[in-house]
Amino acid sequence: MSDESLPAPRAGAPGPGARIGGGTLLQVGLAVLLAFLCLAPFALIVAISFGEKVQGAAWIWSVDPGNYARVFVGALWPEEFSGLYLQRLWYSVLYATLGAVLAVATAFPFTWFLTRTGRRAQTIWLVFLLSSVSVSEVFVVMGWDILLSNRSGLPMVARETGLTDWLKAVGWFDTLRGWGLANPRDLKFKTSATATVLTMTYLVWPYAVILLYPPLSRLDPALTEAARTMGARPATVIRTVVLPVLRLPLLGAVMFLFVYLLGVYVTVSVFAAPSQQTLAVSIYDAVRGATLDAPFGAAQSVVLLAVAALCLWFGQRLGGRGA
Amino acid sequence: MRRRLHPAAALFMGLCALVLALPILVVMAAALNGGRTMLFPPEDPTLARFAEFFAGDPVWRDALWNSGLIAVSSAVLATALAWPIAYLVWQGGSGLSKALAAAGAMPFALPPIVFGVGLGFLWAFTAGLGTLWAGILSHAALFLALPLVTISVGLQSIDRAHLDAAATMGATESVMLRTIVWPQTIPYTVSGLFFVMVLSFNEFIVMFFVSASAFTTVTLQIFNSLRNGFTPTMAVAAILFVSVSITAFALVARWGDLPRLMGAEPEHD
Repeated sequence: MSDESLPAPRAGAPGPGARIGGGTLLQVGLAVLLAFLCLAPFALIVAISFGEKVQGAAWIWSVDPGNYARVFVGALWPEEFSGLYLQRLWYSVLYATLGAVLAVATAFPFTWFLTRTGRRAQTIWLVFLLSSVSVSEVFVVMGWDILLSNRSGLPMVARETGLTDWLKAVGWFDTLRGWGLANPRDLKFKTSATATVLTMTYLVWPYAVILLYPPLSRLDPALTEAARTMGARPATVIRTVVLPVLRLPLLGAVMFLFVYLLGVYVTVSVFAAPSQQTLAVSIYDAVRGATLDAPFGAAQSVVLLAVAALCLWFGQRLGGRGA
Repeated sequence: MRRRLHPAAALFMGLCALVLALPILVVMAAALNGGRTMLFPPEDPTLARFAEFFAGDPVWRDALWNSGLIAVSSAVLATALAWPIAYLVWQGGSGLSKALAAAGAMPFALPPIVFGVGLGFLWAFTAGLGTLWAGILSHAALFLALPLVTISVGLQSIDRAHLDAAATMGATESVMLRTIVWPQTIPYTVSGLFFVMVLSFNEFIVMFFVSASAFTTVTLQIFNSLRNGFTPTMAVAAILFVSVSITAFALVARWGDLPRLMGAEPEHD
């Protein structure tokens, strides 16, 4: 499992060296533990994804690619094509992309202003942001569920304040109905793709600020000042100097958030219509929920993992090229 | 860099803060409901739900105990594992130590539901499914990346000149570790510990697969009741959670340099 012949880690370390045995032993111990805790789960998913379900919620080891066929073309292929799981994958990618892009696009100006405030104000904002990022998804969903619920949330506010009637009067109500954001009488946000994407954006928004904070606060002030002294307006400076310099951190943030959002479960299960749910929901159903087919759940997990890995690899390549 | 923000910028930041706080404030206000249903604005405000949460219902008491136990234990474990890895990498690191850091960061960088499914399989094979110790190990693995990052930031902030001076005067590696490296990285180590604690406290999906319904935590318990409608008692849990987070991060900010920890330049003044 580990390479015993590796030299002890001494390269940059000052001081006399005679501790090789202990250091290597520690590394090998850590390697075994991390291989078990951090790598074995992923290896097991891959191995089990080739397993076969047997009657009564159990499964056996196998080398059957059938689970993957079921994800991509349906269980009855080639007689019949079913794109059900491809559609779920599509919604996973769609929601995650929209959520990540929206979050980074709105977090960018915020972070820009944040790094322009004093150190003390920054500290207070950071405490607020970190507290908000760590609020459990279940609480976030609970809060938005109340805010968007038809009886006591924003639809009720819109009705009481006359906004709904006004929308009906100017004819925009029918447009909203077309988008699935209203029922015949009132505004309606549950269930809708809009509510799902907005809640996802909300979930990762503080993460976006935290990811953009280091590059923005380390941005050389000379860059923007030079552009300003040459007469560029602030908006022009942002567009022609700041954004090009920061394109890699921005793209990196979108990718990190995208990967995180691929696996969001609670939000989708509460806010998305059954026909618009994601792979994360069907993984849940297969492994612990209604359908109980662990190998199939594992195969879907591998597909999700592959999308995530592809995205991270792509980001790494871009980052490597940029550096 | 200490100039006044444009009023429009301040307004935008305030608006962001409002949207960020809104759902949580609504949940908190709902805790005051006198009745059994979650209404906003609350009807018949009372603090009875707080008593119910902390003293009354044994379901919530057990869940709270499990949440706390898992959060504290996994935070200690993750920090203890992250320390030697970060230290080995900082020392110039062999290929193996870099591989260790990469492996340790992997669970956090990939979709959590996939890691949860994998851990569910792992513990099913090792008789850990549904046990608290498996829950603790799982969260330690999931959040290992956080202390790895904070401790690495701390180690990088140590002035190499101090180490060279100590080495010239004949200090051994263990003496330097004890007298220079460790004291200077304490704030960063504690920050990493707090990060894991708070995130573990709030984590849901991985714990769902690992617990296999054999034990509950507060977040699991809330999810269980999600479909049956919320009760004001659940909102009390939200208040508790947010208070714990704010306290933890305020402590980090009090004893450490939070902007530096989050990646800003060190302060020059």
